[in-house]
Amino acid sequence: MTSSGQLNNKNQQPDSDYKSLPESYGNTEAALLPRDPNWMFIYWEITDNSKANLAKEHGHDIFEKARHVVRVYDVTSADSSKYFDIPIMIDARNWYINVPVGGRAYCCEVGLVLPDGRFIGIVKTNTVNLPTGRVSEVTDEKWMSVSSDFDKLLQISGVEYIGKGSGEVAKSLAQRWEMLRSVFSRAASWGVSSISSHAPAGPAPEKKFWLVADCELILYGATEPDALVTVAGRKVALNPDGTFSMRFALPDGNMDLPIKALSKDETDSRQIEIKVIRTTKNDGK
Amino acid sequence: MENKEKGYFALVLHAHLPFIRHPEYDDFLEEDWYFEAMCETYLPLLDIYERLTGENTDFRVTMSLTPPLCNMMTDDLLRERFRRYYNQRLELAEKEVVRNRNTQFYEVAKMYERKFRRIRELYEDYYHGNILDGFKKFQDMGKLEIITCGATHGFLPLEIRKEAVYAQIKIAADDYKLRFGRGPRGIWLAECAYNPGDEIYLKANGIRYFFLETHGIIYGSPRPRYGVYAPVYCPSGVAAFSRDMESAHQVWSAEMGYPGDRRYREFYRDLGYDLEYDYVKPYLHQDGVRRNIGMKYYKITGKVGLNEKAPYNPGEAREMAASHAGNFMFNRERQIEHLNGFLGRKPIVVSMYDAELYGHWWYEGPDFLEFLFKKLHYDQKTVKMITPSEYLERHPDNQMIQPSMSSWGDKGYNEVWLNASNDWMYRHLHKAVERMVDMSNRFPNADGILKRALNQCAREVVLGMSSDWAFLMTVGTAKTYSTKRFIEHTNRFIGLYEQIMGNRIEERYLADIEWRDNIFSHVDYRVFSTGAQERAAAAARQ
Repeated sequence: MTSSGQLNNKNQQPDSDYKSLPESYGNTEAALLPRDPNWMFIYWEITDNSKANLAKEHGHDIFEKARHVVRVYDVTSADSSKYFDIPIMIDARNWYINVPVGGRAYCCEVGLVLPDGRFIGIVKTNTVNLPTGRVSEVTDEKWMSVSSDFDKLLQISGVEYIGKGSGEVAKSLAQRWEMLRSVFSRAASWGVSSISSHAPAGPAPEKKFWLVADCELILYGATEPDALVTVAGRKVALNPDGTFSMRFALPDGNMDLPIKALSKDETDSRQIEIKVIRTTKNDGK
Repeated sequence: MENKEKGYFALVLHAHLPFIRHPEYDDFLEEDWYFEAMCETYLPLLDIYERLTGENTDFRVTMSLTPPLCNMMTDDLLRERFRRYYNQRLELAEKEVVRNRNTQFYEVAKMYERKFRRIRELYEDYYHGNILDGFKKFQDMGKLEIITCGATHGFLPLEIRKEAVYAQIKIAADDYKLRFGRGPRGIWLAECAYNPGDEIYLKANGIRYFFLETHGIIYGSPRPRYGVYAPVYCPSGVAAFSRDMESAHQVWSAEMGYPGDRRYREFYRDLGYDLEYDYVKPYLHQDGVRRNIGMKYYKITGKVGLNEKAPYNPGEAREMAASHAGNFMFNRERQIEHLNGFLGRKPIVVSMYDAELYGHWWYEGPDFLEFLFKKLHYDQKTVKMITPSEYLERHPDNQMIQPSMSSWGDKGYNEVWLNASNDWMYRHLHKAVERMVDMSNRFPNADGILKRALNQCAREVVLGMSSDWAFLMTVGTAKTYSTKRFIEHTNRFIGLYEQIMGNRIEERYLADIEWRDNIFSHVDYRVFSTGAQERAAAAARQ
């Protein structure tokens, strides 16, 4: 839907504020946001000044020599020695972070890992507490119920909808929901599917040892904000600062992702082609 | 009579629209969202409450009226534009009755004429242009419990600064007091989005309860003894009620399919497209583009093309709504009997819906509710309708649980409001909040034009926080509008911020923004100060 209407003549420019937002705010800083039990979102800004200082201290080619990483610390307990690194590109300015376990507290640091393994932290985020995404193991003596009762209670409380495949409701009424959502709905239309589509949660006690794993692909880049960008022939919407990112499912096999950018005046273009191969081996047990 | 019931049923309707008001245009498409909701949902609900009260039928309903909605309902400009809207519709409906005499559409044409007349009567004669008075009347009678929401329906789990969380709640609670003469007892957290610990700011504002999606409690710790069929207390002492899936499913599932019944009104076959162009043109927007105008003459009919739909029969549809209400009640009775036996305690079944589903989307939804209220009152004794406040008075002894982070959005957490289509917003939003907090701390006693500029900054920050913008970007419709709105509020904030910090506030620039974004006329920018937030949290923890 777009806005319609004619201007009040008494008024000046209606859209005087419609300019793009600042590229940067001139501070080296980073923030971390919770998305769900297994994903967080980090964004950061590193000023030219900060970069220059790093180059002065560690050599002008530091950003080429070192690996760019987000270091993810598990800070659930005071001992923050537990961490892992995710390779990134500092110029991406944001990233989705996948963590193996929910229900823990995390904090991230954008930094560089030197060839000799030393880590240079550049900027740290706030701490985020992720939800567990599953039924608690903790029972409460005063309010305890027998455990078979509890399983039944989960059933009637709606846990039966977990894993049932999402959106029986949404599917049959999809067309109508579309309209509804466009105008009014908060997510009532998704209510039923809302706890049904995140997979391996639910009461785990009766399960034996198990493992699930999967991976997805995140593609990102940046160009002039007014350029026309396509990925595999599909037009991509750019963010106001000219960056873009897309998340793909990544099934086994080959995936070709030709990325094309065409300047606004259509006189200049650039192309990058990325090929991804995925193979998954499962021990079948 | 007392205590015969086996359990409780709490109906919760969440009424919300983002603040959409464009004085810079004579005629603005997105303002129709509000006018349509007024004609199809808000006034029809009041109509039901009026009738039930007139017949001495007792009922209970809990409704959020979000601060943006309250501000729109009391705004003079929108009041005038709403009058223009329903008068135009009524004029068309009257013409249509004449045009359709002796056709199969006569009944439905008469229905619209009757309904728009009733809209006018309620709006003008009953409430004198202020429908909040109507809602307040039923609240004062104890039939309706009005709850609030974050100031602009802000999505709290994605705020980093607690000052922002506090400001959303505090501005909302103050706005509520202004309109309803007392503080809110309950709140609808926007999108049911809960971040553990944030409820301390509810407590600080005298709010006793809020609502959660099912897994907010099911995944809480320790395990909930009664599942979602009793509220729990958070460690801070604020109560949380959780959503019942069975009744949600009942209304909206494919196999039960209340709203999808073939006798109900077809949403997509609209007079805006069906009528001869010159005849309908005066009722379209100024751009003359055909769009839905909210008057529809056909029923769903079945799985047939839009051109094969059969004429709508209002009487038949109303009978169906009565029958669905009977079915819904029967299922609640059985559910509550079963739960009572299983839990050994009177369960509370909480059914939460968007208010706008009733009427706007499911046209017969208000009829369904009216029949349901009546049947629950006259035809059975198993189920008692209740508000959360009444429940907590009767049953103050509840388990203490730390609920889980959750929302009622797709996949149950924050992804609808944080994904590739909208994640770019947050660096700007958080920066605006940070600057707002800094200014509030720096200027504890501003007055004159500085105070005006700071108050306007507070309005722009909260307007930018509306979860609606991120939501609309995700679903892809109205994306241009929502993107534009977010950017505008952020840029207005930045403009004012730079003028304030540069000590060069331009009165004309400020006045123009005040004229556009006039929400929360009483806002006090100091609500964003770190001291205000810390004092409130400390007092609530004692």
